[in-house]
Amino acid sequence: MRRALPSVLSVLIALLVSFIAAAFTLGDLGQAASAYLAMLQGAVGDWPRYFETGNPSTVLRPIGEAGTKAALLTLTGLSVAVAFRVGLFNIGAQGQMVVGALAAAFIGAQLQLPSPLHVTLALLAAALLGSCWALLATGLKLWRGVHEVISTIMLNWVAVSLVENWLVVGPLKATASGTNSLSGTAQIHATAELPRLVADYSRLNLGFFIAVALAVAVTVWMQRTRAGFESRAVGLAPKAAEAAGVPVARRVLQAMAVSGALAGLAGGTLILGTELKYPATLASPYGFDGIAIALIGQGHPLGALGTALVFGALRAGGTHMQLFGVHKSFPELIQGLALLLVAAKLFWERLVAKKPAAGGVT
Amino acid sequence: MLQVLDALLKSTLEAAPALVFAALGAVISERAGVVNVGIEGMMRAGAFAAAVAALVMPTPAGVVVGMLAGATLALLHAWLCIRWRADQVVSGMAINLVMLALGTFVLEARFSPNGTPSIAQLDRYLTGVPFIGGFTALTVLALAAPFALHGVIQRTRFGLRLRAAGEKPQAVAAMGVSVSRLRYLAVVCSGLLAGLGGATLSVAVLDRFEHHMPSGLGFMAVAAMVFGRWTPLGAAGAALFFSFGSALRIGLTSSAPGVLEVVPQGFLMALPYLLTLALLAAQKKGAGQAPAALGTPYDPELR
Repeated sequence: MRRALPSVLSVLIALLVSFIAAAFTLGDLGQAASAYLAMLQGAVGDWPRYFETGNPSTVLRPIGEAGTKAALLTLTGLSVAVAFRVGLFNIGAQGQMVVGALAAAFIGAQLQLPSPLHVTLALLAAALLGSCWALLATGLKLWRGVHEVISTIMLNWVAVSLVENWLVVGPLKATASGTNSLSGTAQIHATAELPRLVADYSRLNLGFFIAVALAVAVTVWMQRTRAGFESRAVGLAPKAAEAAGVPVARRVLQAMAVSGALAGLAGGTLILGTELKYPATLASPYGFDGIAIALIGQGHPLGALGTALVFGALRAGGTHMQLFGVHKSFPELIQGLALLLVAAKLFWERLVAKKPAAGGVT
Repeated sequence: MLQVLDALLKSTLEAAPALVFAALGAVISERAGVVNVGIEGMMRAGAFAAAVAALVMPTPAGVVVGMLAGATLALLHAWLCIRWRADQVVSGMAINLVMLALGTFVLEARFSPNGTPSIAQLDRYLTGVPFIGGFTALTVLALAAPFALHGVIQRTRFGLRLRAAGEKPQAVAAMGVSVSRLRYLAVVCSGLLAGLGGATLSVAVLDRFEHHMPSGLGFMAVAAMVFGRWTPLGAAGAALFFSFGSALRIGLTSSAPGVLEVVPQGFLMALPYLLTLALLAAQKKGAGQAPAALGTPYDPELR
């Protein structure tokens, strides 16, 4: 729990600083307060109104939106966290997500299969392509010594350029039916859609549970298996790990394959759960957000899950702030500020070290 | 034919300054040993601040405000990285995320969703003269700055110390020179240049701040720096080359759409990044050109 302290404090300070920024920009304290209240209601549901009217959509819709966004943030956050475990900084989650999304959209639209098989296959394809994209950067790192931060940044733009400026507008473009022109790829078949849980009230789908299950699975893998332990050794001291007989290259490749697969799955979940096709541009930078989620979550898979739940909820609430003149990207500002604060490593180390109890942060 | 060349040159030199300034900014910070992937965010700050400032003051003064905005963010980056030993990539990415959201938020709250109101662009000289005419002072500056920075880094005492801070900071400290101060200075200069690059977008390329600025140009500047092997002349050359590539692509789209049937536009857009990757992969392993102490916070207790 001590490890979570810097994160919790950072998020709280970020919320406060953003509030001051909002009040300052809007020039009205009351309006900023209303916007924050709207964000809260959009995040966890408008409970007073629910008790008044008894309409379940007043709470189910916001919670569903929060869960949908949290699922994507969890997956990309896990992706970055897993790469961190072996000491690599995967800035490329965005690119891996883009190629994963495309794979899911392609399988979803081009194949005809019975439902459970179709969804599974589309998700697997997303994970596989995401994995391959991550392994490109890993291969360059292991065998050519190219720093992964640079190579993954480059691969992000390669992915976006190739997918959005070639495939989506070229070979995979949806054929216009009748008079309405279409953007993006063809709509996926109903058999490939991730099932929705409370279909009439919210967009919450199976993706949320997949994300939570994967967070638990990654935790078990990291904490309870030999491979996870060895990966951690590789991340902390690669030379010592190698001397101790850990197959370093294999552990790095393995972790990056998982990392890419998780980011690819985020793309797959986005397409099969809510977008239902690859749109003209994948506007949401969930891959970049994953960096913030993983780091605010202190690189721990469950920390990433918790952070993703908080920011997923805030983001769902963000859309409700528009009424008060606050753009829906406002929660991203809070998230960025929280990351900046978490980044001041030495500050937190000193703060935590001052406390009497033993056992500092590593 | 001459007209085509003229148009290509014009559009290259129109687009290049922003990228050149930002790439030089990246070089100066990284040569001192501080990774700067926050260039994108600093450019965004510069573009926004310049466009807003130019609403109430002469445009050249707006450019200075843009530079200061970039420098302010850079100071924050330096403070986190040097004082608090933050992971430099994390801090840079955090700055990008904050600026992406903050820019959108302030734009929506204070101006229109798409952009700020139009301002007077910087003056253009010798308009109508082929090849050399029609540019702003920033284009001239962008062509001169790489040589100036090259001179400073390679030929002055300050430049030597700056490089040493990035290669072997302990040696700098042993000389009695403060590593922190050198690094602060380098990162702030980097922010000034990134801010200038951003300002170029909003006062010379366009005449306002648009919501998506600088749309990845900051990352391309980092690519240019790597492609140019962390040297001012190399980085500027790469920036010019990338700009020429995009000028060629845009020119082709409008004048010869047939070419794009054969080579899809997406390939052309991916090309600078693919080239950078290929170049890095082709280098001998371990013979990387990156400064030796790049990314490591200076710890005086380590030898």
